[in-house]
Amino acid sequence: MKAFLVILFTICTIVCFSFNKRFNKSYNNFYLSSVQEFKQQQDELLTSIIRTDFISEEKIQSLRRPIEAARLKLKNIDFWLRYFEPNAYRKINGPLPVEWENEVFEKFEPPYKREGAGLSLAEISLNQKTIIKDSLLVLVKRSQEAMKTYEADSITSQLNSYNHFFLANRLFLLNLAAIYTTGFECPDTSHIIPELRAMLIGTNDIYLRYNQSFPETPLTKEYLDTYNSTISFVNAQPDNFSSFDQFVFIKSYVNPLFALNQKFINIYNVTSISFNDYTLNNNIESIFDKGLYTPQNTKGIYSLVENEKTLQEIRHIGKLLFYDPILSGNNLRSCASCHKPTAYFTDTVVRTALQYDSQQRLPRNTPTLINSLYNHLLMLDGKHFSLQNQGRDVITNPTEMNSNEKDLLTKVLSCREYKDAFKSFLKLTPEEKNITLDHIVSAITFYDGSFSRFYSPFDDAMNNKGIVSDDVRKGFNLFMSRAKCATCHFVPNFNGVKPPYIGSEFEVLGTPEDTSFKELSPDKGRYTINKAPETLHAFRTGSIRNARYTKPYMHNGVFKTLDEVIDFYDVGGGQGKKMTVDNQTLAGDSLKLSASDKKELLAFIYSLNEEIIFEAPPASLPVSSNKSLNSRKPGGQY
Amino acid sequence: MKLFYSISVIFVCVLLFMRCSEKKIEYNLPEPMSAETRSIYMERLDKGKTLYKLNCSSCHGIFTKGKDSIPNFTKDQINNYRAAVMMAKDQKNHAVAVKMSPQQLDYIIMFLSLRKHEN
Repeated sequence: MKAFLVILFTICTIVCFSFNKRFNKSYNNFYLSSVQEFKQQQDELLTSIIRTDFISEEKIQSLRRPIEAARLKLKNIDFWLRYFEPNAYRKINGPLPVEWENEVFEKFEPPYKREGAGLSLAEISLNQKTIIKDSLLVLVKRSQEAMKTYEADSITSQLNSYNHFFLANRLFLLNLAAIYTTGFECPDTSHIIPELRAMLIGTNDIYLRYNQSFPETPLTKEYLDTYNSTISFVNAQPDNFSSFDQFVFIKSYVNPLFALNQKFINIYNVTSISFNDYTLNNNIESIFDKGLYTPQNTKGIYSLVENEKTLQEIRHIGKLLFYDPILSGNNLRSCASCHKPTAYFTDTVVRTALQYDSQQRLPRNTPTLINSLYNHLLMLDGKHFSLQNQGRDVITNPTEMNSNEKDLLTKVLSCREYKDAFKSFLKLTPEEKNITLDHIVSAITFYDGSFSRFYSPFDDAMNNKGIVSDDVRKGFNLFMSRAKCATCHFVPNFNGVKPPYIGSEFEVLGTPEDTSFKELSPDKGRYTINKAPETLHAFRTGSIRNARYTKPYMHNGVFKTLDEVIDFYDVGGGQGKKMTVDNQTLAGDSLKLSASDKKELLAFIYSLNEEIIFEAPPASLPVSSNKSLNSRKPGGQY
Repeated sequence: MKLFYSISVIFVCVLLFMRCSEKKIEYNLPEPMSAETRSIYMERLDKGKTLYKLNCSSCHGIFTKGKDSIPNFTKDQINNYRAAVMMAKDQKNHAVAVKMSPQQLDYIIMFLSLRKHEN
């Protein structure tokens, strides 16, 4: 009897195990067969190009059909490809031929050149006046080559566990909110919504296979029901992406799905081995939560400090230092001289701020510090990868505050209040032997970084905590579609950081030197940091948040009003203004926005004004034992 | 005299004990290197060592026995990227690392990757 039971138990185990295997296989096989289907479509596209006679324009244009067929197949597996290997993906359907990147985990390295190829670029090349068959073939061949990556063991082995699934799904949902409906990688805008429909249905098949293979960690009925109503919603929407209700799509469908998926990640203890998840936070429930991705570290050298009281002390010292001209070489300027803390930490009066010599002007407009921490690279040229390095640079820059570490420390520590504080803070940083500039800068970044935590009425609407007007909704839908703003200013911070939120993007707009639009601004931008032809005059994309209060605009403050900015984009940037900008990344043709379009766009931009609680400046500054320093004023003289 | 003798013995013992308890770490620094660069390296490695010793070594070893089945970085050269991801993302086991600034993490990774391994 006992032996019988043992045998029965063994058989059961084997059966269960093999069933499990088979179910797993169903998901695996579905992946492999879907990948094969797309590869076949790539082959067909290649054959069509080879067979096409490139003398006839009509025949060339007929290549759009096999490109679109391949795109539709790609959409079925986008879910996997984008997550498993983003660098291979950009060879399959990249938006640009060359991108220079420096992602969060590469911060200590020089920028990488990443080349794009594939379907979008092939389609764009059909619009050019002279189409070279060979270059078109290269674009497709490279995308075929890149597909090999997705059959490697390192990737297919991930399909055996459920972990990758919820993380890939998170990226998919974030992309639904940020790029799939904007035309980011879809040059023919009439295909955006049809492709979206195909992708939603293709992904539904992935979901069903997954649930069969992983019954222990399934997508729940609630998720699948919400997903199905998402499909119905999209199917009922018009084909034209400009009439598509982006607002409702994100608010009522994508964001709730995201919240459920975050729950799965936590309940199922999902673990990541991918850089795609590097900055994403598992503990938030909305895409419009400021904790969505890990921003810049504001604590710097005090990162390991947790005690709330100590942190308040650090912040208090940071605030005093922010207003204290003792940080400048001549004791006359402070951080607050240019970044006015009661005015969105920027200067709305001047085009660019005065230099240290109080005669000349700096080449670039003072950026607001609010939300600057949501950029992975700082400064308009991406010179710095941490807030602390940026602060250090401004303090020691001869044209800005013109200090040096040694003198500055002597001056700061001559004040009793600072000295006592930093002596106690030194104990919090056992790796440091002495008080350094880092202790000072980290206190400042901790103070000014604390103003980025506030939300706007638009966030509240997305999070079901408030409502916005019809104009705001229309403006948002325009922003995401026809006005082409969202292909550079991504949800949810509307800056240049797109899912999976690990890098900052730079764009070339053709910004003029002045409003006569005769010549380009001579500022080389990103090129000064990374000397590559693509980066000439490129600047890091800023956030739209609080834009109403952060005039003047552009890197050189050339535009005084948001109307001027919108008009500049509407006309097609520098190229649209008939200036020569060979590497402009903004489309050079007109957006053809009407007066009411512009009014709605502004309504949306104004809905991103955050309800920030500003603080009054300190009444006085710490007293120094050096009497000559005691005449300094909070905020400085100029 | 006897008192002096015994005090000296105790003193020597204490010295010896301290010498033993402070683990000497050597580094594989890239060659050739100027004295100035070397001192910058050593300063950073020292910071990495202190941060590691205080925040990591109770589990990962090197300065303590460590814990079973937790990597002690003695044999395999660590892969910088993978280690950075593991440290920055694993909120359950690496609560300390998740809090650290990128600069601090970099000091630790530098310390671990340039440290000369025993054996």
